[in-house]
Amino acid sequence: MTPRQRVLAAVNHEEPDRVPIVLGVSNATGIKMKPYRRLKQLLGIEAADHYLYSWPELGTAAIDEEAMVRLGVDVRGVLDLEPASVLERNAHRPPHADYLNSWGSGATEIRPGEWFPMVCPLASATTIKEIEDYPWPDMEDPTRVAHVAEQAARLAAENRYAIMATPWLLFPLERAFAMQGMDTFLMNLALRPDFAEALLWKIQELCKVLMGHFLAALGENVDIIKIGDDLGTQESLLMSPAMYRRILKPIHADYVRFIKERTSAKLFFHTDGDVFPLIDDLVEIGVDILNPIQTSAGKMSNLEELKARWGDRLTFCGGIDTNRILPDGTPDEVAVEVRRVIDILGPGGGYLVSSVHTVMDDVPPENILAMVDAVFEFGGYQQRPEKPA
Amino acid sequence: MTGRAEIIDLVYEHVLNGEAEQAVGEVERGLALGVEATALLFDAMIPALEEVGRLFETGEVFLPEMLLAARAMQEAMNVIRPSIVAAGVEPIGRFVMGTVAGDIHDVGKKLCIVMLEGAGFEVIDLGINVAGEKFVDAIREYRPDAVGMSAFLTTTVREFDRNVALIEEAGLRGTVKILIGGAPVNQHTVDRVGADGYAPDASSAVRVTKAVLSIG
Repeated sequence: MTPRQRVLAAVNHEEPDRVPIVLGVSNATGIKMKPYRRLKQLLGIEAADHYLYSWPELGTAAIDEEAMVRLGVDVRGVLDLEPASVLERNAHRPPHADYLNSWGSGATEIRPGEWFPMVCPLASATTIKEIEDYPWPDMEDPTRVAHVAEQAARLAAENRYAIMATPWLLFPLERAFAMQGMDTFLMNLALRPDFAEALLWKIQELCKVLMGHFLAALGENVDIIKIGDDLGTQESLLMSPAMYRRILKPIHADYVRFIKERTSAKLFFHTDGDVFPLIDDLVEIGVDILNPIQTSAGKMSNLEELKARWGDRLTFCGGIDTNRILPDGTPDEVAVEVRRVIDILGPGGGYLVSSVHTVMDDVPPENILAMVDAVFEFGGYQQRPEKPA
Repeated sequence: MTGRAEIIDLVYEHVLNGEAEQAVGEVERGLALGVEATALLFDAMIPALEEVGRLFETGEVFLPEMLLAARAMQEAMNVIRPSIVAAGVEPIGRFVMGTVAGDIHDVGKKLCIVMLEGAGFEVIDLGINVAGEKFVDAIREYRPDAVGMSAFLTTTVREFDRNVALIEEAGLRGTVKILIGGAPVNQHTVDRVGADGYAPDASSAVRVTKAVLSIG
């Protein structure tokens, strides 16, 4: 069984030879550069640093093929890029100056090498006119996806790994947070729903243009397409279920429909926090794979119930805790937790092992290896696969 | 003419509903009509905020509504603060608060501050990305009853350990209670860091603080 067959079986709710592994390939399943450097050192890999999306300020590593093989990762990513002109401008800006993306939002360096999204160009906007007048990014810029067709075709020709397409943040709500600031936009959702909805739909329109080009470039060479929007907090939802259903669900439904009209790839939806009360809604609009299953957040810790209620329709990707287990656990504790999660989410397929969101700087490289080695050891369905050399 | 009871009711409703402009309008009208600032605060604004907190904890309101209520409270507070000070109302405690170094998340911290101010605490906000040394300096300068540290990331939670050590080294640990908060924070964190408590959300921050400071 090839890694691709393994993934396809799992997302079609069949048991492959072992539970598939998804690491790297997107920020939400990625490894930050600092822990990745330590991992490279531990594995004796000598390779230059490369960043996902060619974006050092995001700080998430593009994992070298040698490491991907050692980690047993069953997918390979195809990503978009900011327009070449934007990458160029940022590469040549003064040191430590704010990073600004094509949307006009961006990140500020608060400590050397640590960037946070703090530049919100529509922070004070409250009117539809301001949305109409804003210099929105050019989603027709061909340099955003110029590499996509060839990269996807090469992976498809190899036919070894499942192809996971992860365009950067074509997420309406999170993009609205980036444009306005999270608290400001949340207040506008309640205070100025017409404005908030208009902003979301405007962003959605732009996301769809780029997503359309991205999917056209991929053609049939894609197995999983990632979108999302963070909807949960540590203990609850960012907004009431009623507000979600009134304002955002139609937007997500429209987006999923748009994507599914253009590809048969499985729809991967990333949403942090405790989103338990919205899982029925996400299934209803066509989400196939839910990520990251933040077990440290509220009812998402109840993996048995997740599997029992939605396991026949939803594939779970994630579930390996980055709050305590991966940063603070011993390799043995990591292995025990991976086995526990696999035992609950694995039966019948429908589970892809991944860390709950990005592996951060506090995770020792030994624990990253312990996570995947536990999958090799305990993740087999019928036969035990050989551990990669 | 609008009566005092009606104004108190309206201020309560506007803060509860997060209508900042109307809350400020009613507070100004109340003051102009001779309603005491303390009555506006204790009979309308604080109960409204407590009710929002209760509704948040029971899952009846969510962040957007809570943020709006907090903003209405803050803006109304700005109007009555001089009168409250003039009335000689003493704060029930002093709090120094900040988001730790390497972290910029402050939505939760801002909500905590409003809830604490609403409960009668004086809060000095050190802002975001606050170095441990700044916390120490602020403890020396303001002599607070409690210091609150916020961190959203598992990586920046490590700053708590460093900051508690710095406060100890400065010989100030005995003078101040240390409270922590943020998404990855739980009782394990409190035990590891050697803090005095944590609150899972802004609404329970007041309860936790009062318990830690033994305020009735």
